[in-house]
Amino acid sequence: MTTFPAVAVTGIGIVTSIGTGRESFWNAILAGHCGFGPVKSFDTRLYDVHIGAEVSDFCPQDYFEDADPATMGRTSQLAIAASRLALRDGSLNLAGIDRNHVGVCVGTTSGEPQYIEKFDDHYMEGRLDRVGREFVNGYPSHLVPFHIAKELELGGEAMMIPTACAAGNYAIAHACDLLRSGKADAMLAGGADSFSRITYTGFARLGAIAPTLCQPFDRNRKGMIPGEGAAMLLLEPTHKAAARGANIYCEIAGYGLSCDAHHMTAAHPEGEGAARAMRLALQQSGIRPEDVNYISAHGTGTPTNDRLETIAVKKAFGEHAYKVPISSVKSMLGHTMGAASAIEAAVCALAITDGRIPPTMHWQDRDSECDLDYVPNTAREHKVRVAMNNAYAFGGNNSSLILTAYSRP
Amino acid sequence: MKQRVFITGVGLISFLGDSPALFHKKLCDGNKGMGRVTEFEEQGFASQPGGKVEAFLPEVFLKSKALRPLDRSGRLLASAAKLTLENSNWTSQDLAVRDVGLVLGTMFGSMHTISQFDRQALGGGPSCASPLDFANTVINSAAGQTAIWHKLRGINSTIATGATSGLMAIGYATDLIQSGRQTAVLAGGTDEFCFEAFCGLARAGLLCGPDSTAGCSVPFEKRRTGIALAEASALLMLESAESAQTRGAVILGEVLGHSNAYNPRWKQAAHEADAVIRSMRGALEDARLSPQEVDCISAAANGSIPGDRNEALAIKAVFNGHGEKVLITAIKSMIGETLGAGGALQAIDLLETMRDHAVPGIAHLKNVEPEFASLNFCRKPEFIDTRIGLINAVGFDGHACSLLLSGPPAWGNLV
Repeated sequence: MTTFPAVAVTGIGIVTSIGTGRESFWNAILAGHCGFGPVKSFDTRLYDVHIGAEVSDFCPQDYFEDADPATMGRTSQLAIAASRLALRDGSLNLAGIDRNHVGVCVGTTSGEPQYIEKFDDHYMEGRLDRVGREFVNGYPSHLVPFHIAKELELGGEAMMIPTACAAGNYAIAHACDLLRSGKADAMLAGGADSFSRITYTGFARLGAIAPTLCQPFDRNRKGMIPGEGAAMLLLEPTHKAAARGANIYCEIAGYGLSCDAHHMTAAHPEGEGAARAMRLALQQSGIRPEDVNYISAHGTGTPTNDRLETIAVKKAFGEHAYKVPISSVKSMLGHTMGAASAIEAAVCALAITDGRIPPTMHWQDRDSECDLDYVPNTAREHKVRVAMNNAYAFGGNNSSLILTAYSRP
Repeated sequence: MKQRVFITGVGLISFLGDSPALFHKKLCDGNKGMGRVTEFEEQGFASQPGGKVEAFLPEVFLKSKALRPLDRSGRLLASAAKLTLENSNWTSQDLAVRDVGLVLGTMFGSMHTISQFDRQALGGGPSCASPLDFANTVINSAAGQTAIWHKLRGINSTIATGATSGLMAIGYATDLIQSGRQTAVLAGGTDEFCFEAFCGLARAGLLCGPDSTAGCSVPFEKRRTGIALAEASALLMLESAESAQTRGAVILGEVLGHSNAYNPRWKQAAHEADAVIRSMRGALEDARLSPQEVDCISAAANGSIPGDRNEALAIKAVFNGHGEKVLITAIKSMIGETLGAGGALQAIDLLETMRDHAVPGIAHLKNVEPEFASLNFCRKPEFIDTRIGLINAVGFDGHACSLLLSGPPAWGNLV
């Protein structure tokens, strides 16, 4: 396998239930703030669970210059906000570059679920006459990157990679490939999902939603908490970013993707595919396992995920697994679906720049099957040189991204 | 150096059957086998051309295991994958030792299952929604299910860019092989025919409508009113030279280059064709070819009023002069708009065209829009030697993708 020139992360845009914008998000996550609250987007009275992690203070108008936010779904709105923030954060002046060489790649689980939910409401009420052109002009998931590209007037590749809960990593990985092969000069890449009745219903039916708290890797963990959010990273080839004097948070050295080909909703019992993705990522990045000194876990807080993820990390890292701090920010943000791994990639980038790693909150009791260092309950000073960002999805999709510290030559 | 990318097998499920050669023959015969959508008359949608693959029986392709966990999209894709693996001579023993990837292009994914699942919960409360169906409510479910069915453990990705998704998936898979990340990838697309898609596209004014009111889905035709929504599933097996040679695979063709573009100004009259222009130029550049070297264009045209026009004007612009000579066909005149499957179906037929030298005509094309009447549209089968073909995919909302194919290379050095 050929190794490729690295890609730099030069801008971070983020919208979450605990903070919007890089700085407010990072302060909140280091302080262990949580975004959980009673679900407001729909009535949960008929459900056994009622908690979610919604973004309650989001004001789309603040981020729109061209389109009317009301003409598109909430996922697009969150993603446009994150994209604007990433461009501002990276101080990339679009006026000075060929916009046809700037692309957008987004990952998602549900795309714009409110449009199909509204369609279903009409269907059930026997009022299909109320379905108008907005349904097909608002629902398909590809509209999220298209809306971003239109709002920011970008003419490069615009793509949605809807690989569910690992989608953010897939989108960032693909953007890196486009930059490495010279097919793009800059990319906005990340993930977005808005709170969905359908997703909530599904996880509730699987019994996977925790009643009050998300406690990844804790012995008494009771499940995940669905959330929403968006994160977009501004990515550029390192040499171009350095040449324009951009602030470089870190580099993306490589990635690994694999498929369990085992079960739609359950991970491989021995963590086979997940470990394979980690190994591929290390191999492609030319990095030894013992050089990784932070792992951002998928860490959903479900009994099975956390157990199997621990097995997979041990499989890929051997003894070194016990020495690497691992945290799950889902303990604070809930599971933001397709956005999750993009938010977690931003966490890795910020941990590398800041020398601090976020905690896994609500960790109380040690589980004999989850016996690694999960950075319980308080942020930690830690010089991160190499971070690995892991994410897994329905369909047996596994993804690992490697982010490395950048030192100016 | 970039790896070359070869096509070593194809597979399709369509209402014109599942044999690539027969599919091509029917297209060359000007097949009028497209069905009619009559099932939504009660909901107020008059009968019009399009519809399901009525004859599709997944158990014919997917024997021995329970089909219940797969929705229609999953069954269509797993069946096309089965045919493609057979066609390219991949055995289950091969798949046990090598990681084959799968890249699915789809516009709506599992929308029908998503909607049904939601309606179960709305009708009887959340406890009535089936957890088994929930597994299929992710947009990548067909790709996940197909990977499980055939033990495809390589990169498994799903690409959504609207009606261009299938061709984008082939481009994405090509890049995975070129960069050395995978050596064998199944790539193409699927969109099941369902009420949700039909209703949505009808309400957006994109369907051709009932022909009793002059509905017409003929590509490039002056009277065209929109698309005929149809169903299909189609895949190609893409392999690196080394993989193909080691397996002793029969090579059907080669991906020479591809590109795509989004046009943020697609709603402005002066810029409508920009995306298709840039995607074709980009693909030619990627393949290091000049427009003069292209023998045939498999157009995306599907009866869409703006889409067909943009594509025709773009061909004129890119092929500047030569556009009047290069032969243009549009198989959606017979197979309708199959969304995610469209690009892969075009690729499969182009490979057949290269093999038997017959380019299918654009069925029912009578009066071409005067604005682009000077282009060389293929109206009945024409017999030419197609060495290099260009495939276009054009979306409804400012996106386009182009890909260049050639037939099998001269025997010998592939690397």
